[in-house]
Amino acid sequence: MSDRGWRTKRMRKALAAVVYTVLGRGLVASARLDDRVRREVRTWPDGTVVTLRIAPFGPQTSWRVSGGTLEHLGGGDARADLLVTFKSVDDAIPLLLGMQGVLAAFAEHRATVRGDLAVAMSLVRCLHIVEGYLFPDIVTRRILPHPAERRAGHLRAYGALVHRTAALEGATS
Amino acid sequence: MIPDYYEFCNSAKIVSGTKAIEHIGYELASLGASRPLVLTNKQLRDLKVATVVLDALKDTEAEVVAVYDDVPVDSSVVVVNDVARVYRETGADAIVAVGGGSVLDTAKGATIVLTHGAEDLMEYRGAESLMGRRAVAFIAIPTTAGTGSEVTSAAVIKDTERHVKMGFTSLSLLPDVAILDPRMTVGLPPRLTASTAMDALTHAVESFSCVQANPLSDCYARAAIDLIREYLPTVMADPKDRGARLALANAALLAGAAFSNAMVGIVHAMGHATGGVADVPHGDAMAILLPHGMTYNLDAAGDRYGELLMNLAGAEAYASTPRDERPAAAVEAVRSMMRTLHEQAGLPLTLGEAGVLPEHVSEIATAALNDGAMSMNPKQPTYEELTTILKDAL
Repeated sequence: MSDRGWRTKRMRKALAAVVYTVLGRGLVASARLDDRVRREVRTWPDGTVVTLRIAPFGPQTSWRVSGGTLEHLGGGDARADLLVTFKSVDDAIPLLLGMQGVLAAFAEHRATVRGDLAVAMSLVRCLHIVEGYLFPDIVTRRILPHPAERRAGHLRAYGALVHRTAALEGATS
Repeated sequence: MIPDYYEFCNSAKIVSGTKAIEHIGYELASLGASRPLVLTNKQLRDLKVATVVLDALKDTEAEVVAVYDDVPVDSSVVVVNDVARVYRETGADAIVAVGGGSVLDTAKGATIVLTHGAEDLMEYRGAESLMGRRAVAFIAIPTTAGTGSEVTSAAVIKDTERHVKMGFTSLSLLPDVAILDPRMTVGLPPRLTASTAMDALTHAVESFSCVQANPLSDCYARAAIDLIREYLPTVMADPKDRGARLALANAALLAGAAFSNAMVGIVHAMGHATGGVADVPHGDAMAILLPHGMTYNLDAAGDRYGELLMNLAGAEAYASTPRDERPAAAVEAVRSMMRTLHEQAGLPLTLGEAGVLPEHVSEIATAALNDGAMSMNPKQPTYEELTTILKDAL
């Protein structure tokens, strides 16, 4: 691969890592704001670790279900019970930037799934809800199977996300 | 229309014809195998169906190291592990699976255990996550004309202890060779013939209308429906017609290759759930639910169903039906086929006739939403929409 091609790929991976962080915290925030996400997460076996990864070396983001609530584990290594792996960064970027829906990405073989497919289907529904909060209607109309239905406004969702970020930073400082 | 991106793989060698099973020695030798383990079930041995294969194997250089005939109606992880144990202990180098979906899925499960040294199959659940070449030569000989499992990359295996159905999809599950021989299906009773044929028809219709339909899978789906439309009535009228039986076996294979690549949708999602909750046989569930699923999908896939009217009802019906009426006419063609099979073979027309109770609906709808097949449907239903469809089908 040429230097330019390699630099572009690294930039895409850096972008994916940023979006993974937002998505990771966004799912946790959605679980606080939205009873539909909470209900989905409660159906996952306690202790389940869910990871989204880009092959072969990441980045990745993980969550763990604990006592029916969701905890974001960040981008470190985690022993995943449900592992969704995008075959390349070029397969992940369209989904992460709202250019392609989750179901379309699966249909086009852009990702593999290891683990319980029922939990994977539940995760997809959660991601649809999160995308409803993260993206404007002009995007969600194209990528979601149904019009986004929000239990809280965008601002409150972003506030929950930022608050969570602040809380995390507070905990680590 | 061509999707932005698609994949298609049908790597199994197809051996189809009268006495095709007599080529099994050559096929094993081609695969470099000489010590096959034959996998089947007791019913097929009692009916002498498996005997046809065993007799053919006697006249080869291959040595059958074991005949495992303890495969239950639903393939289970216990049996999969036991098959793998026998395979290792006998020094087998190939699996010849003779049976319906359960036997073939058991064989697929055993190949996972033998290839990956799996202690716990649960670790290998998922979609396209099995890597590496299969370590086992694998010949599939279907004894029904329905599942198409002989050319699909999918397997469902029950963990009876944990009460979960484990789904696997991987190209490494595709058999090396699929042998279609009319002697395998000529004794199928009319009721089972009808039920399994409707399963194959559903594979073809759903693969043609799901989101990963592509030019290659479309060819397979259309050819499958043409064969079913032409030869299912012949087989129902004369179950001993071997030519028509072979045509139906080919239809099931074609439909299997279509859906293995283009996937299935809402009908299968509801059908899997109906089987899990109320023990409705898969083919019966498909037959009952196909027109309901098509009706739900009409606004998203109506044009595709309209195209299929040509295959479902024939060229004259297609030509004489105005374009905007073709989608509904395609649904009616399926209903008409169903009514005929109900009269001829007693195939149930409603979920109620198949034993589903109103109190099952909620659980079936929930399970259907969590079924992987749903993700490939052209339209994503809500829980409420699913309960409405299921109540309509009661």
